[in-house]
Amino acid sequence: MKNRVTKKSAINWRSALSGFMLIFVAAATLIATSLIQYFFSQKGIRDEATARAQSQLESAEAKITYIVNQAESAVRNSVWIARFCLAYPDSLNLVASRLVRDNPEVTGSTVAMVPGYYKKRPLFAPYVFRADSGALVLKSLATKEYDYPSQEWFTMPLETGAGYWSEPYVDVGGGEMLMTTYSMPITNKSGKNAAVITADISLDWLTDLVGKLDVYPHAFSIVVSRKGMIMVSPVQELVMTMTVAEAIETMDDTETLREIGRAMMSGETGEATVVQKGVANRVFYAPIECTGWSMAIVVPEKEIFTGLRRVEWVVRLLQALGILLLTIILVAAARNQRKALKLSRQKERIEGELKIARDIQMAMVPKTFPPFPDRDDIDMSATIIPAKEVGGDLYDFYIRDEKLFFCVGDVSGKGIPASLVMAVTRSLFRAVSAHEKSPRKIVESMNVSMSETNESNMFVTFFCGVLDMKTGHLRYCNAGHNAPMVLTDHIYRLPVQPNLPLGIMKDMHFVEQETDFNYDDAIFLYTDGLTEAENQSHELFGEERMEEVLHGRKDAEGHLEAMNEAVSRFVGGTARSDDLTMLFIHYLNDNIERQKEKHLHLYNDISQIGLLADFVQSVVEGSKLGQDVIMSINLALEEAVTNAVLYAYPQGTRGEIEIEAAMRDDELEFVLTDSGKPFDPTAVPEADTTLGVEDRKIGGLGIFLVRKIMDNVRYERKNGRNILTMNKKI
Amino acid sequence: MEVSITRQGKTTTVEFVGRLDTPASAEVSAALSPVIEDASGTIILDCSRMTYISSSGLRIFLTVRKAAASKGGSVVVKDINSDIRNVFMMTGFLNLFEIR
Repeated sequence: MKNRVTKKSAINWRSALSGFMLIFVAAATLIATSLIQYFFSQKGIRDEATARAQSQLESAEAKITYIVNQAESAVRNSVWIARFCLAYPDSLNLVASRLVRDNPEVTGSTVAMVPGYYKKRPLFAPYVFRADSGALVLKSLATKEYDYPSQEWFTMPLETGAGYWSEPYVDVGGGEMLMTTYSMPITNKSGKNAAVITADISLDWLTDLVGKLDVYPHAFSIVVSRKGMIMVSPVQELVMTMTVAEAIETMDDTETLREIGRAMMSGETGEATVVQKGVANRVFYAPIECTGWSMAIVVPEKEIFTGLRRVEWVVRLLQALGILLLTIILVAAARNQRKALKLSRQKERIEGELKIARDIQMAMVPKTFPPFPDRDDIDMSATIIPAKEVGGDLYDFYIRDEKLFFCVGDVSGKGIPASLVMAVTRSLFRAVSAHEKSPRKIVESMNVSMSETNESNMFVTFFCGVLDMKTGHLRYCNAGHNAPMVLTDHIYRLPVQPNLPLGIMKDMHFVEQETDFNYDDAIFLYTDGLTEAENQSHELFGEERMEEVLHGRKDAEGHLEAMNEAVSRFVGGTARSDDLTMLFIHYLNDNIERQKEKHLHLYNDISQIGLLADFVQSVVEGSKLGQDVIMSINLALEEAVTNAVLYAYPQGTRGEIEIEAAMRDDELEFVLTDSGKPFDPTAVPEADTTLGVEDRKIGGLGIFLVRKIMDNVRYERKNGRNILTMNKKI
Repeated sequence: MEVSITRQGKTTTVEFVGRLDTPASAEVSAALSPVIEDASGTIILDCSRMTYISSSGLRIFLTVRKAAASKGGSVVVKDINSDIRNVFMMTGFLNLFEIR
């Protein structure tokens, strides 16, 4: 017991440990999976953010380019007119006017002459701009304060001989607009620089345009000029007041910012992460080729990954749920396992107990063969093969008073319930047959007991026989069992009354039958497990095969072995579905004391006496007894039986009286048995037959007649029975 | 068992046919009660066709005999066969009855 407990807890610990391990591994796997997934998702989202930013940048560039190109082409288209007009200085303002008039995005234009081109006017630059009212206003830029020839927009195109976008600037003169100017050189017919034609465009739309790039809620854009001037920024103070380089110095993470600034200045495309005030920001930047500007979109990293973070939370929640679920499943599984373990342990125990039960059951039936080694008048063998560990078949036999009591039975059903009934049946057989030699009475008595206690409605087919070893006389009673086979010079089925099996009806009356065995006769009893043994194609072994095996004389054991072998061969690998029991009795008494035996069973009703005459006739049949002797025997028997009928049992109750008659060579014996109250008829005073009519008593004649007719009358009280034995010499 | 009772003046004849065994005696006893009541005349028990008698039959015979004795009648047993005669002999009934 102690061992078992230790073992059990060890198993529990082990299973608990392996459960924890499993949960741990599952959790680790889940976390690793989600980390990998997170990593890839992050990468994907980052890539997507990059793509989005790039596309925003590209679209902004495209829009800027479009507007810029319009300005550029407006200027370019005016170049040839301006060149044509060089000869007419006063018409140059018209060129500028036309440019402004025809191009709404152009707010102002000038044709600024190279100083000294016109001798009369060393500085000449008529400037036309659109006033707030929409009217075009002409103004001269040739002022001392302005000194246009030194302005970048003027010098650069002349130097490079190509169009030039000026650095953005705030137009102080107008409405403090952010402006930029495109300028192109104009050469005269001899190819000499003559003037610069310009178009001012407002950059107000740029702020609008860039402001619309709201890829993420808190994203913002920055546009810087070629020289690093901040043109667009969410911080208005910085616009046109600081260069990127200057602004960077006021911020955190200057190193990265510097690198970004450098890259932007160099017209590169790229992205980087900058931490500002503890917040990581992703910066995407790209150049705007046509103007030489650079544009950047700044997105707080957190916003890029907002979606991912939400997904991550959901994933974590799901993981937690998963692990919880796993834990529950594992706990349940562990519980089930424990239950299964318990069950299997129970099963083991039951199997062990079944084995013991089988041994006990097998020990109930005689197992030593030959069973009567001292006797040479009988050879017998028996076998019982349960289909399961324990079965419901039984056989039993023993010799008492030179009589072989034997039985074979088959309990309905199989397994443990059947085995218990089998045990009861066998015990009953032993108990009842110990003081009863009539198979009918044995069977009836067993039937009463079994019917009374038959809660489970199980019944037993049963065959009981009592073989007189000296005389070969067999009395038998069948209770629903299959008829045994008799082996004489031929094989035949013992005629049996079917009757009902035991345990069905308490007050069932059974019919006893009898026959005589001669030397070398044999009887073979079996249960239907033999004839109903099935092979794989569901054929039954059947009676024909059984009879075939019975042919050819062998000893009892040989017969059973042959039968068993035949059945095994027949069924092949098919599992037996029913218990198989066989009993073989070979009668070998070569010195039979012939006696004719007859039995009669009566109950305590006076009308039963009418049966006696025929019974006596059947007993004396074939003898040479005279009719007078037969009649007097009848009379004596009637007197004895009448006594029992009238006095053995209380009035109104049913009782039995059994008569055994044995006809021997020199005598006739009657044994009357009843289980009524003790009554010794021999003790009744005899009638005085010498008295006269007046003194003569009415009673007392019966026993007087018995005594007178019979040669010997003997009374015994045994096992609760009155036994009256009467002998008559013949 | 069949019993027939015929009266002719002071003589009553009872004829028994068959076996007067214990079961039959119960019926016969009832049938004979008028005869026993009025037993002052001559009662002839005709046994010519009676094949068997048991002690209960004998008892009926004795009852009739006793009744006749007390009422001044007489009983004659007629034509008993040898087997029944033997029973009568064994039981001393030969001395109790006038056997013809």
